[in-house]
Amino acid sequence: MFARSLFLAVSVLALSACGPSEPVSEGAPPDMRRLTEEQYRNTIVDVFGSTVTYGGRFDPLERKDGLTELGARSARVTPSGIEQYYTVARTIAAQVVSGENRDILFPCKPADAKTADDACAKQFFTETGRMLFRRALTTKELEMSVSAAHEVGAGRNDFYEGIAYSLAGMMVTPKFLFVIDSVEPDPKKPGDVRLTAYARASRLSFLLWNSTPDDQLLKAAEAGELDKKSSLEKQVDRMIASPKLDNGVRAFFADFLDLGRFEILEKDPVIYPAFGVKAGEDAKEQLLRTIADHLVARDLDYRDLFTTRHTFVTAPLARIYKVPVTKPDGGWAPYEFAEGDPRAGILTMIGFLSVNSHPGTSSPTLRGRAIRETVLCQKVPDPPGDVDFSGFNDPNSPNKTQRQRLTAHRANPTCAGCHKITDPIGLSLENFDGAGAFRTTENGVKIDTAGDLDGVPFTDAPGLAKAMSTSPAVPACLVSRLYSYATGRPLDRADKDTVAYFQKTFESDGYRMSKLLRQIAISESLYSVSPPKAGAATQAKSSDAQKENPS
Amino acid sequence: MKFRLIGTVVGMAFAATFANSASAADSKGGGKLAFAVRDWFTSVYESKFMDECPEGLAISGDEVWWRGLNKKDRARLTDNGLIQTLNRWGQAVRRGPNGVDICLNPSASTGDPVQRIVEGKYSYGADLDGTKDGHATAKSCAHEKFIDANDDNKLVDNQFYRLVGCTYGWRHVGLVDLNANEMRGTSGLGMILIEVTGVDDPRNDDDVTVTFYRSVDQFALDPVGAPLPFSSYRIETVDGKPRYSDSLKGSIKDGVIETKRGDVKLPFYGNYNFMHPVIKDMGLKLTVAEDGNSATGMVTGYYDLAMMLYWIGGMGPTIPVSYYNCPSVDTAARKLADGYPDPKTGECTSISSAFNIKAYSAFAIHPETERREAKR
Repeated sequence: MFARSLFLAVSVLALSACGPSEPVSEGAPPDMRRLTEEQYRNTIVDVFGSTVTYGGRFDPLERKDGLTELGARSARVTPSGIEQYYTVARTIAAQVVSGENRDILFPCKPADAKTADDACAKQFFTETGRMLFRRALTTKELEMSVSAAHEVGAGRNDFYEGIAYSLAGMMVTPKFLFVIDSVEPDPKKPGDVRLTAYARASRLSFLLWNSTPDDQLLKAAEAGELDKKSSLEKQVDRMIASPKLDNGVRAFFADFLDLGRFEILEKDPVIYPAFGVKAGEDAKEQLLRTIADHLVARDLDYRDLFTTRHTFVTAPLARIYKVPVTKPDGGWAPYEFAEGDPRAGILTMIGFLSVNSHPGTSSPTLRGRAIRETVLCQKVPDPPGDVDFSGFNDPNSPNKTQRQRLTAHRANPTCAGCHKITDPIGLSLENFDGAGAFRTTENGVKIDTAGDLDGVPFTDAPGLAKAMSTSPAVPACLVSRLYSYATGRPLDRADKDTVAYFQKTFESDGYRMSKLLRQIAISESLYSVSPPKAGAATQAKSSDAQKENPS
Repeated sequence: MKFRLIGTVVGMAFAATFANSASAADSKGGGKLAFAVRDWFTSVYESKFMDECPEGLAISGDEVWWRGLNKKDRARLTDNGLIQTLNRWGQAVRRGPNGVDICLNPSASTGDPVQRIVEGKYSYGADLDGTKDGHATAKSCAHEKFIDANDDNKLVDNQFYRLVGCTYGWRHVGLVDLNANEMRGTSGLGMILIEVTGVDDPRNDDDVTVTFYRSVDQFALDPVGAPLPFSSYRIETVDGKPRYSDSLKGSIKDGVIETKRGDVKLPFYGNYNFMHPVIKDMGLKLTVAEDGNSATGMVTGYYDLAMMLYWIGGMGPTIPVSYYNCPSVDTAARKLADGYPDPKTGECTSISSAFNIKAYSAFAIHPETERREAKR
């Protein structure tokens, strides 16, 4: 008996020690992605500190294949966009060289601040340029930066003005504004290419921190440590332990849940007087704060995000939730919804409910679609262009509730197909109006919140939350989106095994986000690239040539 | 249906409050309701043709001053009437001997007209003395009773209405309460927080406690300036304890909260003055609106006369635009006061009164909750 138990135990241990092995990934051709606003902002904070501030917005990025990060691959910089970049760059550069900051941000002092000092300029650009370009500057890049600083510094009798001029120029080059997948011949696979160590560092850093690599990571890249599994793991563990992981997780979920729509969110103040600008800002932050707290600070099961009753509120949100807050004059306070409360999980938070509604009404269809497309990674076809909305807009309609109106709407077979996919989910959230406030009736009629998720029936929002938390599609969607986000490319059939591998490890790791991030960060798949396409290779060549001969 | 809706909405906030009060939740009746009082208006019964004021509206202090001037001074001091009432108030109010301010020192003035008071039969209010004819009792001075404007079969006491009901500033277009409400609403001073505790059922409960606090938090307002319901307001404290916290026992019937009578010290801010009068034998009746967002009701009781007169005399620039003459009001008030006679002088020290209030559902944040949350 004992021998059999021992044999079983050893067998289990042996199996779990082996675990599934990572499939080989071919990757995709190298690419380049424009920095998102958040990445730009985080980079400036990491390189120059949080005292350096700026205003202004950049050209928006298009959302593609479920992620804005993928839209960054095809982002262009318009003439007005480059003007904006330059304005911001000058603002930043002026603060970097200002009297308050120069002693902190400069590694040296000029011999004479009233004229150029090439030695000090060289030292400054060697260090700062490396952080901005996420790699060491080439000799020509360095010479050019020093030379530009010299010309302006000497001409205007001000060393720091010269530095600011040159620094601003550096910050509007594609080398800073775009994360470039630079490649080199792969010594292990003759004829193939691999990401350079610097490119690996960038991929890792933007995944985990949503920012530029720090000095330690760049040093590890320069020492060739990112090619070695154990050294890579050491760096990944260091980065996961950093408070900056919070930024990385927030950035992913802001993209994953399409929270960029908060930028254009508006509510009718007559219908929803409590939903002002601040409530909208706080609603977005509440989602991200709750997610980061759940997944990073408390390292809990991702699926429980859909049922958690633990969150944070501010005064504007508390008014809509109709709950007390101990800091009426501002600030965040933790809040726990009681068992039995209609609120359970992130889908019942004001942020999700309000952003997936119309300005003056709730929208079961938008909510259902958002759940299908963002959280379950399922595609819902766009509505036809000639939808008849008169039934929805008629104030004298006999259909008082959204369910009644949608039932009438589904009589049109053209509309019925998609609404069958979205509405059974969305209608279960009808106890929450367009601002996310709780209600039991609509136009005096009791709201029916029954619904089902792919055959799992429920009667209300907590029921939907439970169905979501037990649906295998929920963690599967997260894994595929995160992997797509990490590699910066849409996934295809060739990625099937790799995604399945991460899904398996995610499950065996108890659906912990930190573990999933680690698995992806230390995987070969994250860094694998296939040879550039013919056209792209030509472009890459000319890009390299430009790198050595910047104009 | 209506009742169900009120029950649901109020019940949600009720449940939220309950859920956040761990200690209260342990015991029976741990639920709470709370309301922030935004509007406080003197209850003034106004008939269509102003029958209650047969002599017309009260004479203003400005008019008294102006009548006292000779023709030459009228022309000089009022620029032949071109200087507005408000702008000449500084001179008008100092018409006492040696330029004494007759609103701050009404007894310094002589020869003032008699205050025009209400002569009608009807008023809002409550029966405070329990008599049928207003005869003097141990706790009241003799006065005339009114017929309840809401119920011909009931008699009520409201001598404060009798005093100011014919004064422009207190009638529905007047500025006395409007101005004071506006000051409270925008300053964050003098907010009365009403908390109902010991609530088992927010719709019906025969034993609740109603406590009156003050908050110095600003009202949270919507884009058009109306208070946002379900806002949280911190209770004002002194040395860690609520500065105001008088309580009355009461009940809730079909969503209407009604207290028994007792003495309550209330905060009051408005028209440039802060005070904290004790309203003796105070009672509150508060009806929660159908949507659960607000509540309207009436506060009745014997208002501290000295405090009331201090306020009436100290309203500054609100006085000339409210058109009353301080010494006339002061003299009349002392005659009309009907509550709690001074044992030595026999003169009553309080005046029966009634006030309409509008409050918004809120959360009263107790100091101990604040301290506990601060530690988290």
